[in-house]
Amino acid sequence: MRRLAAVSREAAALGLRPGQKATDAMALVPGLVTAEAEPEADARALTALIDWCVRYSPAVAADAPDGLFLDITGVSHLWGGEDAMLDDLRGRLSAGGLPFRLAIADTPGAAWALAHFGRDGTIAPPGGQAEFLKPLPPEALRLDPQAAAQIGRLGLRRLEQIIALPRAPLARRFGAATLERLDQALGRSREALTFRRPPTPWVARLAFVEPISTPDDMARVTQDVTAKLCARLEAGGHGARSFEVAFHRVDGKALPLTVGLSLAGRDARRIARLFEPRLETIDPGFGIECVTIAAYAVEPVSGRQGRIDADLSTAVEDGLAPLVDRLVNRLGPERVWRAGPAESHVPELAVDRAPALGAPPPEAAPWDREAPRPIRLFRRPEPVEDVTALLPDDPPLQFRWRGRLHRVRRAEGPERVAEEWWKRDVEDVSVAHVRDYYRVEDADGVRFWLFRAGLYGASEAPPKWWLHGLFG
Amino acid sequence: MSDFRGLRFAALAAKIAALETGGRAAAGALPFGDAGLDDHLPGGGLPLGRWHEVTGAGLEAETSAAPAAFAALMAAPLARRGQAVWVLRRDDLWAPGLAGLGFPPERLIQVCARDEAETLMVMEDALATVGVCAVLGEVEGVDLTAGRRLQLACEKRGGTGFVIRRRPFGGSARKEATGSVAATRWRVGPAPSEPPAGEFGLGAPRWRVELERCRGGRTGAWILEAAKAYSWEAGDVAHPLRLVARLGDRELAPAQPAQRRAA
Repeated sequence: MRRLAAVSREAAALGLRPGQKATDAMALVPGLVTAEAEPEADARALTALIDWCVRYSPAVAADAPDGLFLDITGVSHLWGGEDAMLDDLRGRLSAGGLPFRLAIADTPGAAWALAHFGRDGTIAPPGGQAEFLKPLPPEALRLDPQAAAQIGRLGLRRLEQIIALPRAPLARRFGAATLERLDQALGRSREALTFRRPPTPWVARLAFVEPISTPDDMARVTQDVTAKLCARLEAGGHGARSFEVAFHRVDGKALPLTVGLSLAGRDARRIARLFEPRLETIDPGFGIECVTIAAYAVEPVSGRQGRIDADLSTAVEDGLAPLVDRLVNRLGPERVWRAGPAESHVPELAVDRAPALGAPPPEAAPWDREAPRPIRLFRRPEPVEDVTALLPDDPPLQFRWRGRLHRVRRAEGPERVAEEWWKRDVEDVSVAHVRDYYRVEDADGVRFWLFRAGLYGASEAPPKWWLHGLFG
Repeated sequence: MSDFRGLRFAALAAKIAALETGGRAAAGALPFGDAGLDDHLPGGGLPLGRWHEVTGAGLEAETSAAPAAFAALMAAPLARRGQAVWVLRRDDLWAPGLAGLGFPPERLIQVCARDEAETLMVMEDALATVGVCAVLGEVEGVDLTAGRRLQLACEKRGGTGFVIRRRPFGGSARKEATGSVAATRWRVGPAPSEPPAGEFGLGAPRWRVELERCRGGRTGAWILEAAKAYSWEAGDVAHPLRLVARLGDRELAPAQPAQRRAA
């Protein structure tokens, strides 16, 4: 059955409402124009709007399907008060052509209630949300449908009637969730919001009178906004490992750029330089009117006094940490690593890739240096053919690899590597997974690491030979 | 008279060296610890603050196992002083193998670049970094401009570069660059090992090493061996490469070019 998912203001005036059957609606309004609902597109649009709202506060939480919470604690003064901030938001949203309702209150519950059922643009003063909530209907509490129906049946039409009820019978009759919602709206209990990203108090923003668009300007404002945030980090004795700059375009899109540091830092010039090569990926469109920066993974960093002969000593930019940062940000974190031991006898599992800097020392025992291991290990072992070897477990006498026949002059082995049977089902364990490794040297001196998968006589198919690596 | 000539000659050589390094003090040399090899190199050892080219012959041009092992051992004493960076195109370098040869893998940062230009860029960037003593890179070829840039990066902080010439798998052979700014060029291939008398199996890994080009030095060919490879003392020697034998000196016998192994 087709139902209406949403209606426009004009349709609502004609008596249509969401949830109505499409056929009923067509009967009521014969000239009704409908479009298919696209929940995924709506969700994407909401995400875009949330990204855009970062210009007001870094703590934005989605209220699916059609709302969002903005935690403006401590940021409204940047706009000169809550009403000025609300006006600014209203002006920008109207310019975007979005229908909306706004409200500001102490608690998310009260703000939700006022935005959905109160007068648009209500600002409840601190501690005064109860007065504003009283005339609203019970649905304003975000109740589950059962409790809402029960409340409606009992003739409770306004929230003040519910607020006046004694707590214990209220919980017993309508469920603990109802009481919880009431407490959350009135600020008597806390409500956890799922923010788009962990809120951080380390934010800075720059707004421009005239939108900017040239690459030089973008580089300069990136430096300025980074310097602004880094000055605060330095004053607080902190450094951060991740920075996100967002460029807010005139048309309402926010374009983020993220860089990471291997060690927490707050050197504005260095951080701005990491952003620089990637600024060209930002399309300024008709101009950028505002830029914000947020620092994540903030940790205390002790300051260091500059030496009196600082000009002679090496610049920080030439050190190892900035090099690793440059490489990681340019190539990606998976392309820069330091190999560390991992506890496994299976060759391809014996290496653990750790970040190049700042990783704790490995817990695994170091590699056994007495066991000869090749310097080149193929990601996939390569098959070798025409293997001549004495049964059951002698090293090969000759083999063919990449079309060339190699006669073995010296050989060592076997070194048996069994599969890690304790990690899988007992049924999957088989002798066919046992590998016998041999180190062999051909007549020219090339040293190979061969293995035979499986044992002779264990199954009908003869075991196969593979080349897993090359010694230098 | 001969003394006077010798002095004049030494003064002239020093003058040329000063011109070549642009007035900076030379970064010194890393001796191999064997006069048979060090005599061929200017300053009595592998020149530091320069970059060196290591190539492989035949199959090794693609797999690059012997050149990589040889370059790692040349760089191992440097890596023990600071940090080393290895720039790869295909990440088949295996740290346990490096550890067995005596290269400290905990001092090595591995970087996997996406193309040739990026490899050279990362090498340059790493060479100009304080604390990075050795930078190894796997590159198909270095042209004159790229070589000059590498050299400038080396001179900036006295870092030493090792360019391992490696052809991508399945790629066709590119014409070898004729001129090069590298301080030395080595051609490395595996050589049959000799286990100690009375023992079976393989001996210490050996390489046939030809010094094909050397600025301010002489060419030569040797058989070198990894000292104490695959033992717990692998890293505890002065230089992990040991001279086993000296092959024909090409300066003395120019008519017969050194036989290149075909494998």
